[in-house]
Amino acid sequence: MAETLVNAEGIGKTYGTVVKTVALQEVPFELQGGEFASLIGQSGSGKSTMLNLIGLLDTPSTGRVVLNGHDTTAASRRQRAALRNDFIGFVFQFHYLLPEFSVLENVLMPGRIAGVAPGDLVPRAEETLALLGLEGLEKKNANDLSGGQKQRVAIARALMNRPALVLADEPTGNLDTVNTKAVYKLFREINEELGTAFLIVTHDRSVAQQTDRILEIQDGHLLQDVRNEYLAPA
Amino acid sequence: MLSLGIAARFLRKSPVQSILIAAGIAVGIGVQVFLGSLITSLQASLVDQTIGSSPQLIVRAEEDGDPVVFDAALKQAMESQPEITTVVPTRAFSAIFRQGAESAPLQFTGGGLAELDTVYDISGRLVAGTAVLGDGDVLIGKDFADSFALKPGDTAGFVLPNGKPAELTVSGVYDFGSAAANSATAFVDGAYAATVLGLEPDQYSAIDAQVSDVFASKDVATALQADSALKDLKVTEWQEANADLLSALQSQSSSSYMIQFFVLVAVALGIASTLAISAVQKTRQIGILKAMGMGDRQSGRIFFWQALILGVSGAAVGVGAGLGLIALFSFLGRNSTSLFPITPQVGFVAISFAVGILVAVGSSLIPSRRTSKLDPIEVIQGG
Repeated sequence: MAETLVNAEGIGKTYGTVVKTVALQEVPFELQGGEFASLIGQSGSGKSTMLNLIGLLDTPSTGRVVLNGHDTTAASRRQRAALRNDFIGFVFQFHYLLPEFSVLENVLMPGRIAGVAPGDLVPRAEETLALLGLEGLEKKNANDLSGGQKQRVAIARALMNRPALVLADEPTGNLDTVNTKAVYKLFREINEELGTAFLIVTHDRSVAQQTDRILEIQDGHLLQDVRNEYLAPA
Repeated sequence: MLSLGIAARFLRKSPVQSILIAAGIAVGIGVQVFLGSLITSLQASLVDQTIGSSPQLIVRAEEDGDPVVFDAALKQAMESQPEITTVVPTRAFSAIFRQGAESAPLQFTGGGLAELDTVYDISGRLVAGTAVLGDGDVLIGKDFADSFALKPGDTAGFVLPNGKPAELTVSGVYDFGSAAANSATAFVDGAYAATVLGLEPDQYSAIDAQVSDVFASKDVATALQADSALKDLKVTEWQEANADLLSALQSQSSSSYMIQFFVLVAVALGIASTLAISAVQKTRQIGILKAMGMGDRQSGRIFFWQALILGVSGAAVGVGAGLGLIALFSFLGRNSTSLFPITPQVGFVAISFAVGILVAVGSSLIPSRRTSKLDPIEVIQGG
């Protein structure tokens, strides 16, 4: 049985001090290592907030997040940054590649942040780029790629430190249908090959249908958390 | 050194912005180096012109007119002061020059030419005749010579302090660069002066001295005055008699410092605002780096490194530009007697270089702080 990777106990988030906006209300959530899950909901339902809380990009107003056995409740900004670097890879709707750097340098970045010398990282970076079908683009500037290529580089970067968890927030929101299909196919392959757990935020139910577990958020509440026994064909 | 690498890359990818900031620093430091060296050299030139060719310390008898006995103890006391570079015993008297119906007073200084040269550099400033001071010879200033159409080899008639007439042969004419010195001073042989004044061989009117650091003359005078070998003698130094010059030099220094300070403030504001804009421009990059796990300090250091790179390169170019301006100034004024030589001060140039770097690094505080405080969620949510 896989170990618990994320244990979020009743996490909630309220924004504002005078006028309070409740974005998420005491949601219980657990994710096992190697799981392939999706988080669906309408725009403004709180799914991105939940992803940000689990990804330690934001702090919960209530509850706590335990990541790979590390209780992050009292963690400093520095500790949270180190945990993100160690355990989590992010893929956002926008690729957020650094335009000043080449494809290879972008992919190397999480490893360099971890303090590893670039020379020691290159083989793994090249392997990851190959896994995503980006061979030969290493020296290209990130700005010179197509939208789909940019997003695949962003995925390669998210996988660079071989994180236990990839959090993807509408990762294909800016891509066409062909690229969208390719990205989810890649996610599934990586999940199976590397054992990386995925939590994919989407508003597209057909995308969610391709994952093993579907969590649905509505108005900040967890509406349902179901195993997907009727996987749509990829 | 990831932050250094990122800083260098950010700078390289915004070449115009980087060059503009570095140029701002270069202009500031160039002005600093040029202006600082100009003022220092101007002051040195002023001081040199005023007191460079005259004694900066004079030892006289307590009672005016009494002779000073220059014995071994006094010689030893003066020469043992490390700041004193030259000690010259002199005999001074006034005489009236007469030429037909015309007359003019002259202040004579008597001594050996070699010794007098160590203070007055008469030989080096000779414009006519030869540097010779034998018995019956006199060396006179250029203005005096012009006023009375005297030239080397001419005989000049004087009335000595004791009322007796005397005739001296003009052996040379000097130019001290000062109308007062050129029109009212003259030099004769020490033995001749002793005869005029009725002094014994070890008796002198005054003992002149020069010091290595002219502004140390006060301390040296105080130390000498305390020496038992100078009992019944009084020490005077140039600063007492030149309070106006000192005050002018001080005012000049203050105004120079003010100009340099405000130039640096302007440079600092320029760098700070440009780096702040750059920090805003790079918010997205910094945000994603932080999302990937870059710490606050490491991200803050990106702008520190940027400022350091810009500071070092800008200050280096500024020092080069400042030295270039000094060279140009010296080149343009090479044939001019009214311009003074500018000498770059190594210490001052080094300080200017360091100040340039410090100003740049100091200017990075705000963008560095802003960057370290940036929350990645601000970028992620902002899209």
